[in-house]
Amino acid sequence: MIDITAWSAVSPYGLDATSFAAAVRARRPAMRWADPAGPPGTVASLVPGFDQRALLGRKGTKGMDRVTGLAITAVGALGGAHNRDTALVLGTTGGSVRSAMNLTRASLTAERPYDVDPATIPSVVMNCAAGHCAIWHGITGPNTTIAGGRAAGLLCLAYARRLLRAGRASTVLCGAAEEYSAERSWLARHDTGFVGEGAAMLRLESSHARTAQPLATVLAVGTTADEVLERAGVRADEVWAVIAGSEAERDAVAPLFGSGALERVPLVAELAGDTGAVSAVFGIAAALAVAGDTPRFTVVTAAELAGPAGPSGATAAAVLRVNAAQA
Amino acid sequence: MVISRQNRVVVTGLGVLSSIGTGAAEFEAALRAGREGRAQLKAFDTTGFAHSYGCPVRDFDPARWLRRTPPDELSRAAQFAAAASRMAITDANLTDDDLNNAHIAIGTTEGGGHELDQLTAATLANGPEHLDPNLIAKTSAAALSTAVVRELNLATAQSSTIATACAAGNYAIGDAFDAIRYGEAEIALCGGAEAIARKTFTVFYRLGLIAPDHCRPFDIARSGILTAEGAAVLLLETFDSARRRGAKIYAEVLGYGLNCDAALPTAPTRDSVADCMRRALADASVKKDEVDLIVAHGTGTPANDSTEAGAIRDVYGDSPPQATGLKSMLGHAMGAASALGAAAAALAIAHRFVPPTINHRETDPACAIDCVPNQARHAEPRIVQNNAFAFGGNNAVVIMGRHT
Repeated sequence: MIDITAWSAVSPYGLDATSFAAAVRARRPAMRWADPAGPPGTVASLVPGFDQRALLGRKGTKGMDRVTGLAITAVGALGGAHNRDTALVLGTTGGSVRSAMNLTRASLTAERPYDVDPATIPSVVMNCAAGHCAIWHGITGPNTTIAGGRAAGLLCLAYARRLLRAGRASTVLCGAAEEYSAERSWLARHDTGFVGEGAAMLRLESSHARTAQPLATVLAVGTTADEVLERAGVRADEVWAVIAGSEAERDAVAPLFGSGALERVPLVAELAGDTGAVSAVFGIAAALAVAGDTPRFTVVTAAELAGPAGPSGATAAAVLRVNAAQA
Repeated sequence: MVISRQNRVVVTGLGVLSSIGTGAAEFEAALRAGREGRAQLKAFDTTGFAHSYGCPVRDFDPARWLRRTPPDELSRAAQFAAAASRMAITDANLTDDDLNNAHIAIGTTEGGGHELDQLTAATLANGPEHLDPNLIAKTSAAALSTAVVRELNLATAQSSTIATACAAGNYAIGDAFDAIRYGEAEIALCGGAEAIARKTFTVFYRLGLIAPDHCRPFDIARSGILTAEGAAVLLLETFDSARRRGAKIYAEVLGYGLNCDAALPTAPTRDSVADCMRRALADASVKKDEVDLIVAHGTGTPANDSTEAGAIRDVYGDSPPQATGLKSMLGHAMGAASALGAAAAALAIAHRFVPPTINHRETDPACAIDCVPNQARHAEPRIVQNNAFAFGGNNAVVIMGRHT
């Protein structure tokens, strides 16, 4: 078994877990903004006032993209000391799509096709944020980026569990980050009219070797709710809360569970927009925020539907026993 | 955590798409012959670049391989991933039904980056209002692994796309190894896929890391990489499963190591690279004098090759194993590169040869290793180390061996 022993959230509610937890408990919608550069009719919720260079300082942040800044901030908010036995596992959809498109745009429009700003080059690879988190926080253990879109958070959880089981790390900092940009909003316009952003991290440790009280225990991770319930030995009627990544997912699992479980924890996507790779991690954080002191079984589902037709996605599900609130 | 039982993990199928050959047999013949996959790049308009050689996959016809997935719904890289997976299953003498509950892990640098470049060009031409939703869908990096799931109709497989740049292939192999070793899955498809993209080429060109003529790993006159594309997918299964069905076994995956430089985003760090090799050797329970061959990361850039050779000497001392630089033949296929290296390692182990570093004239004294210059060797490599180091400081080293 692995335990969650800390969590952090940099969200449209603010830079800390406390502000996220309070808003989720109150089911308070985040501030919305219509980006004039984005698709008409689309709204966005941004991390308020977030500016990576103002927040992290000018040293080491030249050319740094927003998703990297968000990830560094969320890993920092998790606290704790790191060493070569600390791993970082970070979920994404496609890194900083804005940075990638800007570089190609520069190549296509500059006088010479290689007149691109070298300071922005690290940002065009999807593992930029994880690599910078390692530099910033001195994390020299395994460092992995998983591109899973909305399923990324749970795919990262499954991956992190394998790292711990194999003894490749004693602690895994596991989460995801996603930035808002007009570019991302245009690419997402056929999926969603409400785009969010943020970063959230979980500290994971093996149950037998943890260094702090567990906030939750990960009982099973797999591809579907049925499968993970069976593996966890938990009946559907024992489930306290079901956290789906979207309304469509919630409708899909509704027949398995009572409506109480479906309504217990609010859907972050409805309050703060589609946060892509962070959505499942925000979902876990929301369960931690809402749960009381009694151990409660929680099911999290996530799906990344590749393409407008949507037949070919990745699905993931997990069962957690949530023990206590933190923030 | 108490580990009740560790499964042995063997390679029983290979799927390869590369600039020097398609399929395991053609790939092996090209490695033995020291073939170079170099050509003028045509994947994008190279006007304005003083030189634009690369190593593309030529005459790729996805319809030849894909049975269920319409090729026009996939990015070129996702087509590569699905096609190489199909090849690996066929090579392993398995059917799609045998892959239910498989673990799928595909590494990449760019994912659908070639298609994202096309969206950028379309945005410049017509504004963002008219972007083709099908082209947007193709940019999904997650789709590299879900394309495999879709092509093989694997409803219950767990699939992930690992985006750790130029080390991603080894990461994916390592992840699948853990899934099988610790009993999460009995069978896995793992490797990497990459398509040539303008953005990748531009980045390396701007950094001064594109070779004007040939890629020459460890040579005193080395001048950079040639960007490349392709895919390699390894079918891994438990030794028990392979034995039960009488499968041919190319090699055994013995272990791997991961770490992060946490230093510079675009250059490797010698101590950290050495630490990653030591982690891999320890995980594989292999002593350094047992390693017969290193399939080097060997990009052909000045910094990588001297750093890598230095780290090899730090780990192995003054008489390190021979270390071959496959990128001299294949170019640098980014997220597919170390998967191609692992496929080459499996073939070298199974069929008793050592592929060469071609285009080699004079070894740089700062890279003092035997790089198997220009000619393949008849040899029996029993244990092979496959190196991969990436932007972001992501290092991954896989150890494979003859199955005994």
